[in-house]
Amino acid sequence: MAQHLVARVEDVPPGTTKRVQIAERPPILLCNVKGTVYAIEDVCTHDGGALDQGELEDCTIMCPRHGAFFDVRTGAALTLPAVTPVRTFSVHIENGEIRLET
Amino acid sequence: MAIPVPVEPNSLIEEYRHGFHESEDHYAFKSGKGLTREIVERISAMKSEPAWMTAFRLRGLALFEKKPMPDWGDTALLNEIDFADIHYFVRSTDHQGLSWDDVPPEIKRTFDRLGIPEAERKFLSGVSAQYESEVVYHSVREDLAREGVIFCDMDTALREHPEIVQKYLSTVIPIGDNKFAALNSAVWSGGSFVYVPPGVEVKTPLQAYFRINTENMGQFERTLIIADKGSKVHYIEGCTAPKFSTASLHSAVVELIALEGASIRYTTIQNWYRNIFNLVTKRAVAYKNATVEWVDGNIGSRLTMKYPAIYLMGEGARGEILSMAFAGEGQHQDAGAKVIHVAPHTTSVVTNKAVSAHGGKTTYRGLVEVHAGAIGAKTRVKCDALIMDAQSSSDTKPTMRVDEQRSTVEHEASVSKIGEEQLFYAMSRGLSEADATALIVNGFFDFFVKELPMEYAVELNRLVKLEMEGSVG
Repeated sequence: MAQHLVARVEDVPPGTTKRVQIAERPPILLCNVKGTVYAIEDVCTHDGGALDQGELEDCTIMCPRHGAFFDVRTGAALTLPAVTPVRTFSVHIENGEIRLET
Repeated sequence: MAIPVPVEPNSLIEEYRHGFHESEDHYAFKSGKGLTREIVERISAMKSEPAWMTAFRLRGLALFEKKPMPDWGDTALLNEIDFADIHYFVRSTDHQGLSWDDVPPEIKRTFDRLGIPEAERKFLSGVSAQYESEVVYHSVREDLAREGVIFCDMDTALREHPEIVQKYLSTVIPIGDNKFAALNSAVWSGGSFVYVPPGVEVKTPLQAYFRINTENMGQFERTLIIADKGSKVHYIEGCTAPKFSTASLHSAVVELIALEGASIRYTTIQNWYRNIFNLVTKRAVAYKNATVEWVDGNIGSRLTMKYPAIYLMGEGARGEILSMAFAGEGQHQDAGAKVIHVAPHTTSVVTNKAVSAHGGKTTYRGLVEVHAGAIGAKTRVKCDALIMDAQSSSDTKPTMRVDEQRSTVEHEASVSKIGEEQLFYAMSRGLSEADATALIVNGFFDFFVKELPMEYAVELNRLVKLEMEGSVG
C-alpha cells in the first residue's frame, strides 16, 4: 500500500469536488461531504465517462450525462442506469494534506 | 421477386376517428405558455405537495435547462419543438370522479366515444382516465382493493402512500437521465401508480387512458408500477388526441419494478394524432426470477422516440419486448428496445416489426448488453421491416456489447418490400389489391396482435386496414 499526496484540504471546500491524478492511473475524484473527504474513481460505471462535472449533494454525486447517483462514501450505485459500484479509496488527512492509499 | 408498389399522392385516406375536440371553457386552470420556475412552483403548490417533491421538481427544471437536446435521432424534427409555446399544466376539473356520473359531461362524452366505460364493464380490473394533466376518473375493483392492490393516479399516491413513492420514484429513471426525463420530473402530473402485494395475482388487466384535448399542450404523466414478490399484474394504456394544426408534446416517464418472482406485463397502444411529439422514457428492473414484458404498439404521433428497457438484475430474471410500429405520411417511428443482462442465467427476447408507407420512416434502435459475470445469459433479437413504397424508408441500428463469453447472443434482421407474388396470390383468390395488402400487413403484425386483449386486437387490425387503403396504385 502506498500513500500519495494529492491535495490540501483547502483545495476541496465542503460541498465541492476536485479531480486529482496519481501517475498513470484513472483520475480520482475527491468529494467533501460536510467536512469529511471521500475519494472515488472518477469514472461512471455506466458509460465510462467522468463524474467530476456532476452535482454533489450531501453524500451523493449525480453523473452529469445520464443522471445515475452514487454514494461517495461507499461507491454504491443508488439508481439506474448504473448497476455496479464505483471504486473507492482510503483517505488520510494530516497537517491539512490529503493522502490517498492505493 | 419483390417490386416497389406504386403509391398515389395524397392517398392517405384514413379518417382519424379520435380527432374530435371538446370545449375548454370550463377548465379549472391552464398555465400560460412557457416554462418558468414560477410555473413549476405553482404546479407543486396547487397539488399541495411535500417540500421534497417541490425540490425534486426544481432539480428537474435545472437539469432540463442545462441538458442539450439529443444530437442523435431525427434532430430536424426534434428541433421543431418550441418549448416556449407549450402549456405545461392544464387542469380540466377540480375533482376526480369516483363514479362515471361525477365526471364533467364534456369529458365524459370524450371517454364514452372512446369506449372506456364499456371496456371497463367487460374485462378490466381497474380503470384510470387522464384528461389533459390530471386523472379525472378512477376506479378499481373492490376485491382487488381488499387484497391490498393499490391502483391510483400518481398525485393521489404521493398523498396517500408517500413512503412507497419516495422509496421507488426515480430509482429506475433518475431525474437527470435525459433532457425529457428531466422535463417530466419538473412538471409531471398524473400517470398511474400500481402496487401489488406479495403473492397477489391480478387476473384481468388494469387500464389507463390518456387524452390530450388542448392545442399546444404538454402531457407529462409519470407512472410507477411495483410488483412485490411473487405477484403478477398486466397494465394496459391507450393514448389519443384531437386533430390540431400545431404540435403538442407528450413526454412520459414509466418505471416498472418487478421484485423477486414477480411478473409485470405493460401494454401500450399509442395512437396519438399525427402532430404529437411522443418522447417517452420507459425502463423496468427485474430481480431474481422475475419477468417483465413490454408490449409496445406505435401507430400515431409525428415523431416517437421510445426504447423500452429492461435491466435483468437478479439471477433467472426474464425480459421480453414485443413491439410494432407503423409510420405513414409525415411520421417517424424511432422505436426500439434495450435489454441489460447483469445477472447470470437471465434471458431475453426482443421482437420488433415495423411497416413504413406513404413516405413514413421507421427506425429500430436497440441495445443488448451482457455484463461480465452474467454467465449463461441468453438473448435473441429479431427485427423485421416492411417498406410499402419507394417514398418510405426504414433503418435498423442495433448495438450489442457483450462482456461475458459464457453467454448466447442471437440477432436477426430483415428488410423487405411487399411481395408481388404474395399480392398476386391473394388477389387470385378474389381479394381486391387493398384487401390483399391489408391481409399481408396484418399477417406481418400477427405476432403482436395475438398478444393483445380481443378488443385491442380488433381495433389494431382495423387501423392497419385503414392505413393500407389507398396505399396501392
